[in-house]
Amino acid sequence: MNLPQTIQRAEAWLAERFPVGKMNYASMVRHKEVPLHRLSWGYYIGGLALFFFLVQAVTGLMLLFYYQPTVSDAHASVEYITEHVPGGALVRNIHAWASSFMIACVLIHFLTAFAMKAFARPREVTWLTGVALLVITFAFGFTGYLLPWHQIAVNATKIGLQTIEEIGQYLPGQMADWPRAIKEIIQGEASVGQATLSRFFALHVIILPLAIAALLGVHLLSVQLHGMSQGIDAPPRRMEKFFPTFFLKDLRVWGIAFMVLFVLGICLPFESLFAYPLFEPFNPKGSTPDGIKPEWYFFWVYYPLELLPFWVIMIGQGLLGALLLATPWVFRDSNRRTLQLLAIAAGLYLVLMTVFGQSIYHLFKG
Amino acid sequence: MPMMDAFLFVGLPYVAMVLAIVGCLWRARHLSYGVSTRSSQFLEDRRLLWGSAPWHIGILLVLIGHLLAALFPRVWASILTSPAALLAVETIGVAGSVLALVGLALLIYRRITSARVQAVTSTMDLVVAALLLAQIIVGLMSAISFRYGAAWSAGTVVPYFWSLLTLNPDMSYVVDFPMLFKLHLIGAWLLVLLVPFTRLVHVLLVPIHYVWRAPQLVLWNNARRRQQAVEAAIRAESRREFLKGAVGVAGAGGLLALGVSEKTINFFRGPRPDSETEAAFLQKKLLRLQQTAQERELELERQRSERILIARYAELDPSRGRYFIDYNMAPGLAFKGKDGLPIVISAKCTHLGCTVSSEANADGQILCPCHISYFSILTGMPNPGAPAKLPLPQIAWALLDASGKTVLSRKPGQPIEGSADPATLAQCSLYITRPGRDSA
Amino acid sequence: MTAPFPPSPLRRAALLAAGIMLWLLVERPARGYAEFQQYLVKNSRRPVNCAFCHSHSDGPEGTAAGQIGHLTAAEQAELVRARGAFEPGQKVSSPILNGFGNHIIHALGKRRFLELRQAPAQLAEALPQDSDLDQDGIADAREYRDGTHPLLRSDGNPWLIFRFNFANNLPQILLTLTATVLGLWGLGHLLRAFAAAVHRDENTEPEH
Repeated sequence: MNLPQTIQRAEAWLAERFPVGKMNYASMVRHKEVPLHRLSWGYYIGGLALFFFLVQAVTGLMLLFYYQPTVSDAHASVEYITEHVPGGALVRNIHAWASSFMIACVLIHFLTAFAMKAFARPREVTWLTGVALLVITFAFGFTGYLLPWHQIAVNATKIGLQTIEEIGQYLPGQMADWPRAIKEIIQGEASVGQATLSRFFALHVIILPLAIAALLGVHLLSVQLHGMSQGIDAPPRRMEKFFPTFFLKDLRVWGIAFMVLFVLGICLPFESLFAYPLFEPFNPKGSTPDGIKPEWYFFWVYYPLELLPFWVIMIGQGLLGALLLATPWVFRDSNRRTLQLLAIAAGLYLVLMTVFGQSIYHLFKG
Repeated sequence: MPMMDAFLFVGLPYVAMVLAIVGCLWRARHLSYGVSTRSSQFLEDRRLLWGSAPWHIGILLVLIGHLLAALFPRVWASILTSPAALLAVETIGVAGSVLALVGLALLIYRRITSARVQAVTSTMDLVVAALLLAQIIVGLMSAISFRYGAAWSAGTVVPYFWSLLTLNPDMSYVVDFPMLFKLHLIGAWLLVLLVPFTRLVHVLLVPIHYVWRAPQLVLWNNARRRQQAVEAAIRAESRREFLKGAVGVAGAGGLLALGVSEKTINFFRGPRPDSETEAAFLQKKLLRLQQTAQERELELERQRSERILIARYAELDPSRGRYFIDYNMAPGLAFKGKDGLPIVISAKCTHLGCTVSSEANADGQILCPCHISYFSILTGMPNPGAPAKLPLPQIAWALLDASGKTVLSRKPGQPIEGSADPATLAQCSLYITRPGRDSA
Repeated sequence: MTAPFPPSPLRRAALLAAGIMLWLLVERPARGYAEFQQYLVKNSRRPVNCAFCHSHSDGPEGTAAGQIGHLTAAEQAELVRARGAFEPGQKVSSPILNGFGNHIIHALGKRRFLELRQAPAQLAEALPQDSDLDQDGIADAREYRDGTHPLLRSDGNPWLIFRFNFANNLPQILLTLTATVLGLWGLGHLLRAFAAAVHRDENTEPEH
């Protein structure tokens, strides 16, 4: 094959995805416009996810001052923060609520970006970094959940990691042991313990934040360079100026989100939504309490895991992952109406499985 | 003197309020053009600017503070529990009073030295001015001598005021105050009384709508003026927006500083518990450290020992298992079988690893509460249809008598070694043996 | 190869504790009362464990901290005293009970409590209705019916907790709301000032 030509094609591809010629004040601020149509509300969700991430970073930093990542002291340090540090209960509660809000926002943003065909050329890099950000956000949730080291934290993590090991039964011969080995690498030891806590802490506090900072930088740069995507099939008839109109509206959305978060943080401890035995310190020698479940944002895969054979879920997840990464090419020629229907269907599945998953499970299993 | 107090703090207020209401209504109806201050700005406006602006700004600040305390005493008091908020409010109050004092002094000076202004000054104007001056001075002195009036007024003056309004007058709130402050109260009621009879009636005409009135546009006839007007409008608009912006952001910043800074500083300062709380805390930490130490000892024991004691044979029960930690630091259960021999199985559910419960039901099954699997104690097999598919593994055990000799032992999947009669068994202790090693 | 014998000091201590426990069980049998737990789980449909009234979440029997097999001499004396509190009004501090459990014995007396085993639902009425041990705005009797822990401030019916905290923190919330609204309003105008000064025409909203 013609090497110089291939390289030139690659360069052209990159240049189209990163039009740094547009990185000037005039295009990025003065002339930038945002389409106004019935899906314009979707343009605010990404910024909202960023807002919640910033809240998490700030509250997380504050919690970091007092949290101790050892199995003997983790739960006690969280209790210390909640009961003795002035304002600690508020910081911790906001961190817990904002984590759920961030994940919800990220999922909605994913669905609206899909529905608005925001992955179409030349925005493929935005989409790919976005998929990586989605996975990282879930990883944040999974690693952070273990840190308080109470019953539901440790047991839910054990169950989650156990599913990796289950892949082994489908692999032939020697490979059957690899998932268990991988699981033990993630855990750091044979069963969830201090090594697991230490590495989940490292992941949650520095490794994932560095990764998300890097990916977010690329993602936001790409959004700023390309501007807001068209959003609907027909060319939009009305546009508004990005600065100051859209920017101000975005800030107002942030203001409302902040007030909601603040009121919830100060008035509703998130533990009140669960049964109290789940928050007792993890006791490896006692009995496991009732009602151990992963966090709500895993229900869309947890209940199907309980209902369907494992290999179905395994293959389904694999297909889903491949589809997500290949979306800009698979759906290159789809019209937005189709994409909207697909997004609505996916959204409906997520909502129903999350809210009614338990009832569905009991419907089938009695 | 109760009679004097009753007059001054109950009688006078009611007379003042009734006269004020009736008087203002009458004046507004019959003398509507008289509801004014009869401004003398046309006659002398330089000193009026330097006097009137600080006076009005200052007195409005102070009166707004009084009004907030009167209308929302509980919210007001609770905001003022923060020392930063209290300091801020008191500072604003004192600053406003000083501003008002300076402005009023200049206005009085103007009124008694300018010939033109004197020509339109009535006696009541001077009376009102003097009374206002006295009221401000007495108020300022009270604020300084009896510090933090913003906070204590919410519990004393405000209930007194509301007791008057609700026709349930209770002057006990204020009769014990020092004379200086009582003068301030009396002065206030006198001023209320004078409202309909003097220039004070102009407080009814607060021009609030100035704040949001659109700027007036002038349409010029010649081109140069029109261009100038356009440029001036842009300048004015950007200045207006900038001012609004600065006020908004500064206000928010101020409120934030009030509410958040103290809390943030305290968050990072950390708690300063008293010795009792500190002791309870350290006790809790000590307990947890001891528990961790015990766990480490258990781990060490499992590294070193070939045999680990679980229980005495006499303690075993056919339906109530005894938990122990096996060589993998996983939970295990020991029962006494129907044949009198120990049944020692892992208590880690083979489904997702929850700890199986220790109470056996009538069918000799123990329950894993997480996803409801029943395991038979005897075989370790889960019930058909259970989420767990694999049986609970057996654990190698040995019964040793008092001298340490192995009486009975069993490794998983193999027959029992040794034999004993029930009498010997009753004296034995149950041990688990390290897996993967042949017994001695 | 034989095991190291006699047993290590830890094992010795465990044996001693087990012996004491056995003695207590034989001489003065005590149980966690399953009737109450069953009623709580059935009535509130929330999972509830023995830590509702006891110091240890698996109940009073066992050798862990907060259970009968782990008591010092002083604690055993307290336990015996608490077991004898048949009439209400005696302040007890049984080491196997938490604050709520001790409160029940203090308010009801052991005799009445044992009678209530036949009708656990009535414990809620028998408790003093105005007592709120964790100060979360929900009375202990109500928490008993709801299956939420009466000693945990963060455990309770979410709506009730929200209402209580909202009322208590209203000044803070209003202050924050004012600061947020004022700040955003101000920021908006600052941006508009910037845009106006740069002299660009825009179709922004005319006011605020």
